[in-house]
Amino acid sequence: MDRNQGSHTLAGDTMSRMFWDGVQRRADRVILREKELGIWKAVTWREMGEKARQVGMGLIAMGFEPGDRASVLANTVKEWLYADMGVLGAGGVCSGIYPTDAPAQVEYLVNDSDSRYLFVEDEEQLDKILEVRERTPCLDKIIIFDMEGLRDFSDPMVISLDELLALGAEHASKHPNLWEERINCREPDDLAILVYTSGTTGPPKGAMLSHRNIVHQCSNATRMLPQADQDERLSFLPMCHVAERVVGCYFSLYTGTIMNFVENPDTVPENVREVAPTVFGAVPRIWEKFYSAITIAVSDATKLQQWAYRTAIGIGLKVADYKIERKPVPAGLNFLHKIAAMVVLKNVRKMIGIDRARWLVTGAAPISPDLIRWYMALGVDMLEVYGQTETTALTSIMPSDAIKPGTVGLPVDYGEVKISPESEILVRGDYVFMGYLNQPEKTAETIVDGWLHTGDVGYIDNEGYLKITDRMKDIIITAGGKNITPSEIENQIKFSPYVSDAVVIGDGKKYLTCLVMIDYENVAKFAQDKDVPFTNYASLCNTAEVQELIWGEVHRVNQNFAQVEQIKKCRLIDQELTAEDDELTPTMKLKRKFVNEKYKDLIDSMYKAA
Amino acid sequence: MSEPLLNVANIETYYGPIMAIRGISLEARQGSIVTVLGANGAGKTTILKTISGVMDPQKGTVTFDGQEIQRQDPDKVMRYGLSHVPEGREVFPLLSVRENLMMGAYTRKDADGIAQDMELVYTYFPVLKERSEQPAGQLSGGEQQMLAISRAMMARPKMMLLDEPSLGLSPRLVKEIFEIIVRMNREQGMTMLLVEQNAHMALNAADYGYVLEVGRIVMGDTCARLKESDDIKEFYLGIKEHGARGKRRWKRKKTWR
Repeated sequence: MDRNQGSHTLAGDTMSRMFWDGVQRRADRVILREKELGIWKAVTWREMGEKARQVGMGLIAMGFEPGDRASVLANTVKEWLYADMGVLGAGGVCSGIYPTDAPAQVEYLVNDSDSRYLFVEDEEQLDKILEVRERTPCLDKIIIFDMEGLRDFSDPMVISLDELLALGAEHASKHPNLWEERINCREPDDLAILVYTSGTTGPPKGAMLSHRNIVHQCSNATRMLPQADQDERLSFLPMCHVAERVVGCYFSLYTGTIMNFVENPDTVPENVREVAPTVFGAVPRIWEKFYSAITIAVSDATKLQQWAYRTAIGIGLKVADYKIERKPVPAGLNFLHKIAAMVVLKNVRKMIGIDRARWLVTGAAPISPDLIRWYMALGVDMLEVYGQTETTALTSIMPSDAIKPGTVGLPVDYGEVKISPESEILVRGDYVFMGYLNQPEKTAETIVDGWLHTGDVGYIDNEGYLKITDRMKDIIITAGGKNITPSEIENQIKFSPYVSDAVVIGDGKKYLTCLVMIDYENVAKFAQDKDVPFTNYASLCNTAEVQELIWGEVHRVNQNFAQVEQIKKCRLIDQELTAEDDELTPTMKLKRKFVNEKYKDLIDSMYKAA
Repeated sequence: MSEPLLNVANIETYYGPIMAIRGISLEARQGSIVTVLGANGAGKTTILKTISGVMDPQKGTVTFDGQEIQRQDPDKVMRYGLSHVPEGREVFPLLSVRENLMMGAYTRKDADGIAQDMELVYTYFPVLKERSEQPAGQLSGGEQQMLAISRAMMARPKMMLLDEPSLGLSPRLVKEIFEIIVRMNREQGMTMLLVEQNAHMALNAADYGYVLEVGRIVMGDTCARLKESDDIKEFYLGIKEHGARGKRRWKRKKTWR
């Protein structure tokens, strides 16, 4: 092995062997930080290794067998990762539960995954499982990370993380070689983690990812998205999602990138500025938020500042276009761009917190190509990736030297992608998952003759770039028989700073319509600036001015589409939705299916004869 | 429907560089009691001060009885028929109860009317009659609150702004004062804008309510419906489910619906 390569990446054909190799080799380096009482506290590899070992040994002391399952119900905190590595090291399988899930969902996920152990973050999450534990017979023990407010609470089924760690330390001293034995008791083809995907129909499905899936993805994808132990990233997306778990945390473990855990989901913008990550992956919703924050800030700035911003972004966009066309940037323009960067663009990057970022990665949902161009205009490369839980997160990656917005990059060179006669994207390779837990018939439908059927429709262009048209089941066929891919239209509507999300409707209907979820902050500001009285979210949505504003945004997008693809009517969802609501995914996207059902009356009202 | 008596639209008020109310719109119809609920520092008092002219909004309009009154002097606003009962009562301690009441009628010329209203006030608050010659500073807190309300009544306003009448009073007195406020509303048809921290009392007395959080209204509905809201129950009325452990410390997320 190349010596240079060896110092940066880890050996091991299972996740646990790889992690333990890191603990040995990087012992005194920092692996993660978490903000505690206002101070970013660092944890070294050795410390984290010790915690993981104690978690694992503690579980073993309580009777944890190789192949046993454990679930984690917590926000993105460092203990999540301790539990994860402890469970895997003990030869077990680790599954995540969204902290926004309701008790009934927790019950389903614990039972479906057959979890013997459940890690919960705090008393709020604890209450969920206590409410349903009569109906989760598989569950033996509950372990709590944060005991605040639970000092007087005692229950034979519940212990704190500290107690588990102490138990683990004691067990480890009695059985000095057991941990290494357990780490090595799993082989690459064994099940490592369960990642539940929110099915739009029926209950969530547990995607089974093997050690081989994960290691294959870690060791290869990090060639395309280079990062190393000097890099800093932010950990803030839900750990139950394959993006944070694999692309975020496991890639960081593999390369030694330092993970900075945010305080809570609301502090992401501040934490980004504090950390100034050098590599930064997020979902389109986050990139849209940053963009609209800047847009709004500019609209409040002085005329001179507005002019400076427009001019600088204009220059940046021209440079971006040269880059996208892969032509050399003319010297004059390059010079102007340097000045624009110095005077304006660098400050904009600093305001967001991406001034040190070598690359930004966007994925998990479609993004508007205009947004990618905007970030490129600021001077940071934004690379769109595409993948699914079933391919261990990544199927295609945008090469940084040949960015082509509107596509999701080139299929990764360590797997195969082909397009079926029905235009469905099919994938084969070592990163394709083992199947859905307890659902052999769903698995058989998804993996046919070794090819994963993604359910996405798309094509490969003349340069080999993958272009996604839409989800197969999302394609709208209007009453006129026209096939329409809603996501293209939706993405353009979402580009408006006033729109948080949009869903285009029209399957089997005469024309297209659309439901819009507004961006509350920005629309409230619009109303306030225009002296439009409103009291709360609903009354804001119901003012004529706001409806006109949103219609104006939709109308503007309509100009880019053919007659049949134009939105004829739109309505606003006049209730502020949170991640706890069924209509939203944990990454704050509207779920088409739920929206269609829940807002049936609102939708029908757009199709009544006028 | 008729125009509301008071209509506040998009007001923004600052304390120096700090925006205390960030775009507030509300209305009060003739003859109704409207309440604004909110925690300390939410901006409740600032709203009343902006309406009565003690503070000037940077932006927005206040329309009272068909007339724009924002950024006018308080004495002028008061002459339009809008009386402000300030937080902490602010009676004149060295003047007698009677003199305090007469101060309330300072802008009026009709001696007969004043005498009638004095009697009216005494029927609502008989204790003030008993103490009419005592200096107001010698009254108890509850009596001072009664005096402050009565003093505002003496101007024979079209509408009263009440800033935390329950402040520092015993539960029994709070109940008594609220009963009288409601009676004044029913019997005199007095429109009232009531700012309160005592959500329980305010929601029972008022017809319509707004909830204010850090300078913004997050909810506005009839009090009957507000009382049914889970957020109001948990965060303003202190009613919550105790969960499986019977001892819950964590708070649910506010959704304001």
